Amino acid sequence: MAAALSVGEITRRIVREARPGSVVAASGVWADRIRAALPGSLGVWALSDAGLMDGAPLSVADAAAIARGGYIDLAVIEAGQVDRNGSIAGAQSASGLSIPGNAVDLSSGAQRVVALLPNAGRDGVLNLAESLSLPADGVNCVDTVICDVGVINVAGGQFVLTETAPGWTAADLQAMAGVSLSVSPALRRIDLAAPSGDAVSKVYSDGVGAVADLPDGATVFIDGFGGPGGMAHYLLVALRDLGSRGLTIVSNTAGIARVVSFGTPPGRTAIDHSVLIENGQVAKAIASFPVSPSVSRPSEFELAYRRGEVELELVPQGTLAERLRAGGAGVLAFYTPTGAGTLISEGKESRTIDGREYILEYGLRADYAIIRAHRADERGNLVYRGTSRNFNAVMAPAARITVAEVDEIVAAGELNPEEIVTPGVFVQRIVKRPDGFSGYE
Amino acid sequence: MTVDKERLDRMIIAMRVARELPPGGYVNLGIGIPTLVSMFVADDSVVFYHSESGVLNCGPLAEDGNEDIDLINAGGQFLQPVPGMAYFSSVDAFAMIRGGHVDATVLGAHQVSATGDLANWMLPERGVGNIGGAMDLAAGADRVIVAMEHNDRQGNPKVVQECDFPLTGKGCVSLVVTDVAVLEPTPAGMVLREVAPGWTADEVQSVTGARLIIGDDVKEYEV
Repeated sequence: MAAALSVGEITRRIVREARPGSVVAASGVWADRIRAALPGSLGVWALSDAGLMDGAPLSVADAAAIARGGYIDLAVIEAGQVDRNGSIAGAQSASGLSIPGNAVDLSSGAQRVVALLPNAGRDGVLNLAESLSLPADGVNCVDTVICDVGVINVAGGQFVLTETAPGWTAADLQAMAGVSLSVSPALRRIDLAAPSGDAVSKVYSDGVGAVADLPDGATVFIDGFGGPGGMAHYLLVALRDLGSRGLTIVSNTAGIARVVSFGTPPGRTAIDHSVLIENGQVAKAIASFPVSPSVSRPSEFELAYRRGEVELELVPQGTLAERLRAGGAGVLAFYTPTGAGTLISEGKESRTIDGREYILEYGLRADYAIIRAHRADERGNLVYRGTSRNFNAVMAPAARITVAEVDEIVAAGELNPEEIVTPGVFVQRIVKRPDGFSGYE
Repeated sequence: MTVDKERLDRMIIAMRVARELPPGGYVNLGIGIPTLVSMFVADDSVVFYHSESGVLNCGPLAEDGNEDIDLINAGGQFLQPVPGMAYFSSVDAFAMIRGGHVDATVLGAHQVSATGDLANWMLPERGVGNIGGAMDLAAGADRVIVAMEHNDRQGNPKVVQECDFPLTGKGCVSLVVTDVAVLEPTPAGMVLREVAPGWTADEVQSVTGARLIIGDDVKEYEV
């Protein structure tokens, strides 16, 4: 029988699954192999369970958030067994212990899952099963099995052989499998050519272009703790120019910079959420500090609220931060004592744990985040200034499309990986704030 | 009933609160009288100030002309950069509070109940209010110290048997420092600890909405 594919050849086949600009995570030693084989032009992010993304360090919490928050386009997991429904059991150690590592997170969080059976041809056994006999790391998640003698799609409860290694036939693979394989009418020789294509640039040349597809009714995270720092003024004006309506805005305030001067130069008006509210674009605000601290100087939001034009969901600031964190990390809900016994707890599930009352709060996600950072590189890695990272860094992971307004965009490699606060995987678009653009009108 | 005696000014309240801050502790100061407390922390009792805006080791406010919009405290005031500052996200800022890493917070209040319920985020007549970090501080800080005037502008007591304003937290207040007294909420009720110079315990009771527990050890307000 012909030789099975080598590790290098299997890696080349895996790499063909990666689309330009996507995020690929792999278990164990495969992460480094895949990263080394990816053409740089493809702009793929390679994530390992050791907490490295393209060689830049991540905390284990961030690495898990990337997996659980839905940021991984393709997960590559070495398998012990795969069944007809796409459930996967992890590779077994010599002692028979299962070593899930990050396989459980990857299999439940990734958009696509490739299971690797790298020793099938060598061992003469293709570990496919009607149903798993080993402990499952993931259920109904595998899309494709890549082994050292072929490629098999898992769909509709069937194993469909689509590619075979040189010298191997469908009959050879069927003989090694404990289950029946369907053979694709388009069965072909396995292709190991490097993938081509270029990652789509994240850099936008103007603000309106960077938010142009933001639809009516969208939920939008807006940073700005309160004052002008950390607020994406240029993108706020772009969103006003675009005119999307019926927005739910999620933010620490609902726009108080106009009424609390925060150093606004005389004769000018601070740009804040008010530009959207007075333009009739906001239907609801979720905020912790929604109104002016001064009763006598009501904000645009408070006036609209009193006219019954906008809804308000009031959230304690720490609960807001944690709801955003949870949303970005794929955590549905959590219990907190903050707000127990107050108006905030009304209508919320509560339970007493160790004698203390906790209330259930849900993670928050949004269609868009418009955030402000100091510097970005072309890949979307962000560095902030001072306290202005506060909600910006928390919102970036929790939105489907995060648009960052920055003072400067530099080439990849010009930011120190040790100092990056928001890894670019959480940032889909970057726009430079025009020189001389101020936070005032 | 009103008592026509001199009350302590805000600076004295702040001085009294400063004595409560643990040396070497991490402390969060709210807006208003609490902000004044840092002026009275003795040099030999270093306290590390935490702000929800995402900074530890906050120091003095920026001087005119040197404001940096990216360096603010939770009240939106501009800070001076000082050695040893650390910046962090809102998740970390509130992990410090919610995770029990903040030793004490000093907050203002509309009402405090006999058992330490705190109401400080909304005046009912306004119908809308700001919570900010108050509920997290109430739930998470080791000690919640309230610094406030004993009565509101209309003379209504702010130390009450039960709060009728919307609550910030239940049973969370450790100590109340006002312009006439120092009080300690307990499960059994509000204990009077200290009275302002010239005030008697009965006089404090007469301007207080909660029934006070008055022992033999009531002292004069110490600053």
